[in-house]
Amino acid sequence: MTKMTWLKRPLTLALGLSVAAALASCGQTAAPAATPVTPPGHPAIGTHAATSSATPSSSKPTGRRMDVTVQGKKVTPAPATVKIAVGESLTVVVTSDHDDQLHAHGFNNLEKDVKAGKPLEVTVTGAQTGVFEFELHHPELRLFQVAVS
Amino acid sequence: MGTLGFAAVVASLPAHGVGSRQDLPLPFTAVLIGAAVALLVSFVALGALWPEPRLRADAGRPLPSPVARTLSSPVFRGVLVTLSLLLTAWTLVALIFGKDDANNPVPYVVYVWLWVGLAALSLVFGPVWAWLNPVRRLHLGVARLARLDPDASMTTRSPGYWPAALGLFAFTWLELIAPDRTTLFVLRVAIGTFVLIDLLGALVFGRGWFTRCDPFEVWSRLYGSLSPLYRRSDGKWVLRTPLHGANAVAVDKGLLATTSVMLGSTAYDGFSSEPRWYTFVQSSDLPSELLMTTGLLGMCLVVALSLHLAAAVSARLADIPVRGLAAQFAPSLLPIAAGYVVAHYWSLLTFEGQNTLIRLSDPLGIGANWLGTGGLTANHALLQPTLVAVVQVVAIVTGHVLGVVLAHERAVTLFQRRVAVIGQVPLLALMVGYTCGGLLLLFSS
Repeated sequence: MTKMTWLKRPLTLALGLSVAAALASCGQTAAPAATPVTPPGHPAIGTHAATSSATPSSSKPTGRRMDVTVQGKKVTPAPATVKIAVGESLTVVVTSDHDDQLHAHGFNNLEKDVKAGKPLEVTVTGAQTGVFEFELHHPELRLFQVAVS
Repeated sequence: MGTLGFAAVVASLPAHGVGSRQDLPLPFTAVLIGAAVALLVSFVALGALWPEPRLRADAGRPLPSPVARTLSSPVFRGVLVTLSLLLTAWTLVALIFGKDDANNPVPYVVYVWLWVGLAALSLVFGPVWAWLNPVRRLHLGVARLARLDPDASMTTRSPGYWPAALGLFAFTWLELIAPDRTTLFVLRVAIGTFVLIDLLGALVFGRGWFTRCDPFEVWSRLYGSLSPLYRRSDGKWVLRTPLHGANAVAVDKGLLATTSVMLGSTAYDGFSSEPRWYTFVQSSDLPSELLMTTGLLGMCLVVALSLHLAAAVSARLADIPVRGLAAQFAPSLLPIAAGYVVAHYWSLLTFEGQNTLIRLSDPLGIGANWLGTGGLTANHALLQPTLVAVVQVVAIVTGHVLGVVLAHERAVTLFQRRVAVIGQVPLLALMVGYTCGGLLLLFSS
């Protein structure tokens, strides 16, 4: 039994630490002082992701409108993550220099044709939480991601 | 491009092959806290853990006899084998006769139930694929028909784990990079080729091929070594601390490659959804499959090379020969790989796993509902963002802790006592690197 205790102590301690760490990280808000404290029941993750602006990858556009221009294989602005809340609407305007098909993962698997030169406007509402991609098919191009939280 | 149905399948091509959503990024505080815990535990482990090897092969608490008797009974095993063969047959029907559209269950069975579900089952129950593997049954049938001894090997040489390493790489390439990977044509070719090669390997090397060389059995066996459930060599079923199994993994050539592929491919999966990476891939003039394959291979090589480097430094510090040391350390990566797998694939398994069951009700795509699950919609309860974040952090940190303790055990087994502490520092540093890397991948996706 001594052998098992030797093993169990660091394991149980570490397991307890990691669970505590995870719970603590979810109850907290981001480091910058200006943000208000969120009540425990509130999905803090969404607020977190919106306020922790430390990294370049999940970057700016938090507007409710997304304008994307596609020329050949070049997407402007460069693919990034748009954050919306559940129930919030996002209007997407896609302008392409060639005929293509817009596909939105999630959002009821939205598929709309895009005509060369004509902006296509679609409005989607966040329903399921997660990160969903908007893409074109001919050629396969990812336009941006929508993070619903 | 063919029919509308075909186009619809080609259209739904996210990272994993099936599924339309990915997880929200981890909050930065979670990353910090997770990394801090990992560092803290590593330093504590260095100072406070035992100086003598403690993991015994015969350790464990026996299960209550009714449970043990059930597990040992041939009827129970027969039931499991039959269920597995039924599911295989059902999937083959969908593969050969089904419709090539978004409702075909085959991509879901292959990319969700087989790949992730098997890992999850193995982590809990042990190397289950040894019982469930249908190719084993096929090989037995073929051997009986041809009046061959199924255990007979045509050569005394063994390929070690290499076929498994290559097979796992091929599968992850299929899962993450192959164009049109959810279409029936690609799946038919892939499954057919795999079964053929697996069967040939077993005919050439005997039934032992499955234990060391079948990619899915090795996947199940290596993750299964972390399971608390174990059948001892004397036949008794016991519950034991997960580390015993991982410490007893048979080291053979190709083990390092296999663990590198396991860890590297999950890391690449997380990395490939980074906006900067896929922007680079899709706007480059080089074919995207080439770039993505280089990325996948690169990640696996980074894992292998970093382990070699850590082993080389360890060997220098502990004054022992470096030959074979990296392979001896490779099993310590298994808990970390398991943590990565749980963190990355939790939502895929819990959500798309349900969608698999729903789609299996209509394998031929004729609007039938043979299992009664056809009308259901998948439940989102386990996708709640806070729950997902907690699962991810707990999985990665727990994997790290188990990896550190396991590395410590191996160090005190391999090194002399006076150098055991210093000898494990490079490996610990490597693991801290992997854990922080894993947390960062989840943060930046």
